Amino acid sequence: MRILIADDELMSRRLLEKTMQRAGYEVTAVANGQLAAAELCKPEGPRLALLDWIMPELDGPGVCREVRKRKDQSYVYMILLTSKEKKEDVVAGLESGADDYLTKPFDPEELKARLRTGKRILDLEDRLIEAREEMRFQATHDALTSLWNRGVIMDLLGRELTRARRENKCTAILLGDLDHFKNVNDTYGHLAGDEVLKETARRLVSSVRSYDFVGRFGGEEFLVTLNNCDPAFGLARAEKIRQIIAERPVETTAGSVPISMSFGLLLSQEWGYQSVVELLHEVDTALYAAKAAGRNCVRLAAPKAQTEGARELATEPVWRRR
Amino acid sequence: MAKNFIDLEELLERTENDRELMRDLLTIFKEEFPQRHQALREAVKSVNATQVVMEAHALKGMLSNLAAVEAATAVGELERLGRKNETSKFLESLSRFEAIAKELSRQVEACMAEVSG
Repeated sequence: MRILIADDELMSRRLLEKTMQRAGYEVTAVANGQLAAAELCKPEGPRLALLDWIMPELDGPGVCREVRKRKDQSYVYMILLTSKEKKEDVVAGLESGADDYLTKPFDPEELKARLRTGKRILDLEDRLIEAREEMRFQATHDALTSLWNRGVIMDLLGRELTRARRENKCTAILLGDLDHFKNVNDTYGHLAGDEVLKETARRLVSSVRSYDFVGRFGGEEFLVTLNNCDPAFGLARAEKIRQIIAERPVETTAGSVPISMSFGLLLSQEWGYQSVVELLHEVDTALYAAKAAGRNCVRLAAPKAQTEGARELATEPVWRRR
Repeated sequence: MAKNFIDLEELLERTENDRELMRDLLTIFKEEFPQRHQALREAVKSVNATQVVMEAHALKGMLSNLAAVEAATAVGELERLGRKNETSKFLESLSRFEAIAKELSRQVEACMAEVSG
């Protein structure tokens, strides 16, 4: 673990440096408070610090105050080293944001024990952050497929549509539904059904760009947004995704399960200012049309003025397979 | 027999029996002490209480690290006088410290020879 030592007195610095190195710490040693604050405020700076109280440019409590001003970075555990023993000095030091203090000259064993306390607190912080991140993931992702969940994918879609309108770009919204999924569950069992959903999610993610979004919209429904794409790309990519989903069966523990997916597609540029809910309704209608057309195909949602409902894509007869 | 101004046992404990580190500390002390000592003398001579506090504090830290408790206490007294602005007692306190410092410097040399040998 990295530790910062800040002491203007060379003997003290050398003694601390050697003691810490012997205890297994990776040491950065500086001779004044300004340098100490700069090191500790770096995003990947040391998270343990031993600070002399009296230093040129910025004293130990001053360093503590600077470090505590940062809000978003990891916690830094700081120990003040001091020859001050008066109660008011100790209180002032701790009030500045120091976690502990040690009177000089220090005892090596006591110093190491106090640093172990600091390390325990930092470990605890790491565990809390990990738990928070885990909770954040659970709150935003679908538990089975690890895709964005419905709430998040809708939110992302809303933001993406706003951005696309502002920049006069197009977003392709693709709503896919696994064909005959109920039969999969009935024939192969629900565990195999889950495996199919997971593999479908994997295929969807692998078939889009890193900045596109894929979410689980409902049971066997998935929502994909192809961000910042021209309409021709959106059309071609939608068909490519359909092919990728259907190109081979899913190997489950209950056997090989052939799958296909029907898609509704909407190109935002053609729709002007409509809400996310309205656009999703339109793309759902297009998906329904794809199902009605025999499944395993893509149907493009077209504004009413253009056509009466969902349009077949130009290459539709080639795409439809089942 | 002269009194020991460096508590060698304490110094060994503090350096965790690291003779190389002890040698380093003694070397640093030998290099830095004369300058600091001179700066303290000048601060006393010019009756600059703030400077006396600063220099005495730095010397106290060095001496404490060397387990030279008596010298650290003597120079600590100068720091205390400086903080209270009791400038009239500076000279007397400095001479007490210097008497210890003279013998201490000799003992540092002896200690260096022992650690290096």
